[in-house]
Amino acid sequence: MLSRRHVPESEDHGIDLAPMLDFVLNLLIFFIITTSFVKDPGVSVTREQALTAEHRDSGNLLVAIRENGEIWMDRKQVQVHELRNVLEKMHIERPEDTAVIVADKAAKSGVVADVMDEILRVGIREVSIAAAPEGGR
Amino acid sequence: MSESEGSHGIDLAPMLDFVLNLLIFFIITAVFVKESGLLVNRPGGAVTAGGNDASSVSLQILASGEVLFEDRVIDIRAIRANVERIHAVSPTKGVMIIAEREAPSGYVVQAIDQIHLGGVYNITFATGQ
Repeated sequence: MLSRRHVPESEDHGIDLAPMLDFVLNLLIFFIITTSFVKDPGVSVTREQALTAEHRDSGNLLVAIRENGEIWMDRKQVQVHELRNVLEKMHIERPEDTAVIVADKAAKSGVVADVMDEILRVGIREVSIAAAPEGGR
Repeated sequence: MSESEGSHGIDLAPMLDFVLNLLIFFIITAVFVKESGLLVNRPGGAVTAGGNDASSVSLQILASGEVLFEDRVIDIRAIRANVERIHAVSPTKGVMIIAEREAPSGYVVQAIDQIHLGGVYNITFATGQ
C-alpha cells in the first residue's frame, strides 16, 4: 500500500518532456532546412558600395580577390589555373549554386575578368560581383 | 498497475540528448550571411561578333580611373545621366564595359551601379589594354 502510493509521486517528480521535445524537434528541422552550404572564402576584403546590389539567394560559391591579387576560396589561397579544378568539384556537388566574386575595391579588374572566365568555363551559369549595399556593413 | 503503465512509454532521455546535440550542431554551423552582388555578363564567343555589339554602347574605364562614355571623358557619377539618355532613346540597348586590366575593380562596381541606376541591366564586362 505504501509503495503503491509512492510510485505515482516519484513519477510526478520529473517534468513532462514531450512538449519540450516537440519544440526542440521543430527548431532542429528549421535549422536543417535553412542550413546553406556557403563556401566562405576565409579572407575579408573591402567591398565597393552600390545602391543597386541585390541579394543573391543561390550565390554560395564565394571567390575572394584581395587587393594584392591573391585569390581565396574555401579558406584556401588558389592560383587562377587551379581555380578550375576546385570549382568543378563544387559545381558537381551542388549544380544549382551560382558564384559571387568578392573583389576588393583596389583589386585589378583584369584578375576579376580572369576569375569570371574560369567560373563560366566550368559551367556555372551566373556570376555576380559583390558589392556592399549602401549604408550597410 | 501503475508500474506496468509507467513502463509503457519509451525512455525519451537518450533521444532528447541526441536531438539537442544535433540542434546545437546546426545552430553553430548556420550561416545567415548572404552576399549581395551585381550581375554582369561576359562577352560570349559567337554572339558578340554581329548583333550584340551593334546594340550596345561602350564605356571604357582606364587604369587611372578615368571613364570614357562613347569615347568622351565623363565623371564616374555622370554615367547615370548618360545611360538614362541612351536608354530613353533606345530601350533595348545594353552597355559594354571595357576596363583596362589594371583598373581597380571598385570603379567597375561603381560604373555597374550607375548603369543600373540609369535603367540598363544588360551589362557586359570585358577587359582590354
